[in-house]
Amino acid sequence: MAAARSFPALALLNRILLWAVFLTLAVICVYPMIWLFLNAFKTTNDMFAATWGLPKVWHWENFSTAWNYGISRYLLNSLVVTSATVVIELSLATMAAYALVVLNFRAKAAIYTLILGGAILPPEVSLIPLFRVMAETGLYNTYFALILPNVAFGLPFTTFLIRAYMTGIPGELREAALMDGAGEARIFREVYLPLCRPILASAGLISAMRVWNEFIFALTFVESESVKTVTIGVMSFAVALRADWGVLMAGLALSILPILATFLVMQRQFVGGLTSGAVK
Amino acid sequence: MKHLLAVTALATGILASLPGLAQDKTVVSFLHKFPEPENMAYFDAAVAEFEAANPSIDIVMEAVADEPYKDKIRVLMASDQVPDIYFSWSGEFGRKFAREGRTLDLTEALKGPEWQSRFAAASLEPFQFEGKQFGIPVNVDSKYMIYNKAIFEKHGLSVPTTFAEFIALNDALLAAGEVPIAYGNQSPWAATHYIGDLFAKMVPDDVRQADYQLLAPADQLYTHPGYVEALALYKSFGDKGYFNNGANAISHQQARGAFIVGRSAMVYLELVEFYMLADTPVAEQGWGFFPLPPMEGAAGRNDLLTGAPDGFLISAKTEHPEEALAFLNFITSPDQAAKYVSTTGMTSAVIGSVTEQTTTPETLAGLKALEDAAGMALWLDTDMDTASANVILAAGQGLLSGDETPEAVMEKVRAAAKETLAQR
Amino acid sequence: MPDRSDHTQATLRQSLQGWLWVAPALLFLVVFVYGPALTNIRFSMFSFSAMSLDWDFVGLNNYLRLWNDPKFMTALTNNAIYAAISVTCQVGVALVLAAVLEARVFPNFSANLFRTALFLPSILPVVVVGLVWQLLLTPTTGLIDQILWETGLASWSRAWLGEPDTAIFAVIFVSQWQWTGYIMALFMVAIRAVPRDLYEAMEIDGASGVQQFWHITVPGVRETILIVTIITILGSLKVFDIVWVMTAGGPNHSSEVLGTMMYRAAFRDDMIGYSSTIATVIFFIALTIGLVQIKLQKDR
Repeated sequence: MAAARSFPALALLNRILLWAVFLTLAVICVYPMIWLFLNAFKTTNDMFAATWGLPKVWHWENFSTAWNYGISRYLLNSLVVTSATVVIELSLATMAAYALVVLNFRAKAAIYTLILGGAILPPEVSLIPLFRVMAETGLYNTYFALILPNVAFGLPFTTFLIRAYMTGIPGELREAALMDGAGEARIFREVYLPLCRPILASAGLISAMRVWNEFIFALTFVESESVKTVTIGVMSFAVALRADWGVLMAGLALSILPILATFLVMQRQFVGGLTSGAVK
Repeated sequence: MKHLLAVTALATGILASLPGLAQDKTVVSFLHKFPEPENMAYFDAAVAEFEAANPSIDIVMEAVADEPYKDKIRVLMASDQVPDIYFSWSGEFGRKFAREGRTLDLTEALKGPEWQSRFAAASLEPFQFEGKQFGIPVNVDSKYMIYNKAIFEKHGLSVPTTFAEFIALNDALLAAGEVPIAYGNQSPWAATHYIGDLFAKMVPDDVRQADYQLLAPADQLYTHPGYVEALALYKSFGDKGYFNNGANAISHQQARGAFIVGRSAMVYLELVEFYMLADTPVAEQGWGFFPLPPMEGAAGRNDLLTGAPDGFLISAKTEHPEEALAFLNFITSPDQAAKYVSTTGMTSAVIGSVTEQTTTPETLAGLKALEDAAGMALWLDTDMDTASANVILAAGQGLLSGDETPEAVMEKVRAAAKETLAQR
Repeated sequence: MPDRSDHTQATLRQSLQGWLWVAPALLFLVVFVYGPALTNIRFSMFSFSAMSLDWDFVGLNNYLRLWNDPKFMTALTNNAIYAAISVTCQVGVALVLAAVLEARVFPNFSANLFRTALFLPSILPVVVVGLVWQLLLTPTTGLIDQILWETGLASWSRAWLGEPDTAIFAVIFVSQWQWTGYIMALFMVAIRAVPRDLYEAMEIDGASGVQQFWHITVPGVRETILIVTIITILGSLKVFDIVWVMTAGGPNHSSEVLGTMMYRAAFRDDMIGYSSTIATVIFFIALTIGLVQIKLQKDR
């Protein structure tokens, strides 16, 4: 910073100010989670008395109460819905992206626009008709009621990401393989898929985060404890246990623990993956 | 790609294996709104016991919490996936299902001394529509003002016997620096319990019933001045500071928690919440209860208690009416009802099930007060039609925050009621 | 992006192969996104309830009713405020924060730590964020109120989620808390793609950090700014979960947005046709924003 060099005092002040700003922001962002975990160990009365301090007695049983209430089932449901959605979504998006990049067919531009256009439409717009479809086909209250719309609403962005990545793969690779007598399916599987691994990981992570946190479909299309995902499960949990703050907070803490732990261990991959697509 | 396929196959396998484990049994679905751990403890045991006695029946039970239940049951009605047995409040909430033909007529099944005689007429009546029984009551509930005896004694206060004394009591508490009433109105049904009680006291009974059930001529609906006066009275509670700060941002459960730890002198609770006060700081200080006291010279009835029975309905489309009836009969048997009361701390609509052996003295006294009352003023939000109730629900918050006036609210209620009437 | 394969008009046989590859994705979009969205427009012309099976054709009456519904204006305004604040915070503030972190003001280790800390809220489910903040904002016993009391700012204490004047702003604040760090990380990636030597050249000319920001960073990430702005506006239009969890549109409908209004109409008030009308309005606003985006990207 050249300007900084000419006014050392000002630069120092600047620096202190920036440190102060960022430290404050970091505390604001992180402290609520620390507060959540600390208070999860308290009883309701302790919390009314002192929401700041460390628990006087660490009430580990809050966590077992919360766990027994059904958090485990919700987490499992979320896992099933998320993994199935990601797998189906990536498969379809990769196929579509491959065709859009390497194959020559009519109405290609129009088809690509049609796929991308889906990104504009919020789920609210399709909610009520979708709800009727789910009810009439018997999909209501099954995992599929969550997986299928989640795939559809995730496809536009995922296809966009993978397509952008595939355009960077030199076409000569495919031409050479064609010379060797390989078909499109084989080129797709043996040339493109291995090369696309990094973007598949990123796109998969983005899609997984989206589905894991999805709310409105889960609120509308399922009802049973046996299929409720963690977002909705936590809601019903919160209503039923609102009187007992400690247990409620233990439940909230448990529900985010898996994702929080993964994030803290693999934060570089997380941030990198989730922000890919920021530049074309 | 092979991996992907393998994972998909695995996922589909998990999906396929989960639902419908017992295909050879008669499956009866059962949805209620008691997911709290102590309630589930009873229902889980009851279902297990019933299934053990009837090995060919599989009861598939789900529970949704109170507030979301109102959405959930409407969603299920819309999706035509109505459970065989489902929970309902009494009054308009249940009548609406009966009106649309979504409930099984239980009149015949209930007849005869064995089943019908278990219930008081007062708990059966709110589950009748056009002379037919559409629901079975499971518990009865009413609303009382709970007070902290230590705080009352400290300031030399006593239980009010008239509404004027109740107002004076609040003023005295306020002057003494106490929060008179803990109030959480984040979910606005809480307000309707106050407003409903005041409507019952300040509007003549026949006028009120005709309005709630939309039996009055369209241009006379909700025109009695008692409605506006009642809303103004409710608003004055907030304006004068009888309620704690920020009632609209606090849940009812948080308000109850504040009362329990002695941060307020009173709280407006349901009979079925009494058991939650056991083993708490307020239990050590001592607590008592009283209904909102009678109002001298008011136009309505002073001998009603705000409250209602809760019950279960059977879907009109059920494929297994016999089994569903058998299960309802089972959980309302004297033996089960006693277990229900002792396990959950709730009351029961079954006569003789709430005794010294099964519940606390306070709950018993609360039930006694309910039995002594001339009748019930049902929960307002489940007794009015949906559109009018929605206006009152929002108004319960708006009046407190100063964004609504009683006159404007009743104007909106009239418009909503007229429209609903026109559609019927 | 030039397409290598588009030199010639494809034959029908060639086309068939391409269509087969995109068919599954297209099928999903048609069945679960576009089809329902169009059906929804048809629904909006009827008055019907979940309970009964009678459908009354009412033409555009639902739209007339919506126009006269004071809640609609509240919702629309709230969505607009949501969008305005979000664009300011998530585009403006996030870009500045990203520029500072990328300008090597802090040692690498601290910069990384700051990025992780600010990014953290974005990985949490909205429901959990909403519930935790609801607890934090509780009057008297909540952390925020206690901080205000302890720091002598007791006069600022209020029921943030319980007062019509503040409820929607409290919700919007939480949303900024959650997403600003994420957008900041996006901008950091974009800034890294701006050639380093541009900065070095300006530094030699004696330009200040602020000047560098305006003359290199902003033009360098213009594309990302545009996309993020559009995404943020679309996100503000479809916002539902955080509002539903924190206030459910209350108190007295003061924090209602189009999404909550629509959900309430369908599943609480049992007016499905009316709900579809609201959804249709959302549809057309989204469509307009989408078209504007395409136009802007073409004009570049």
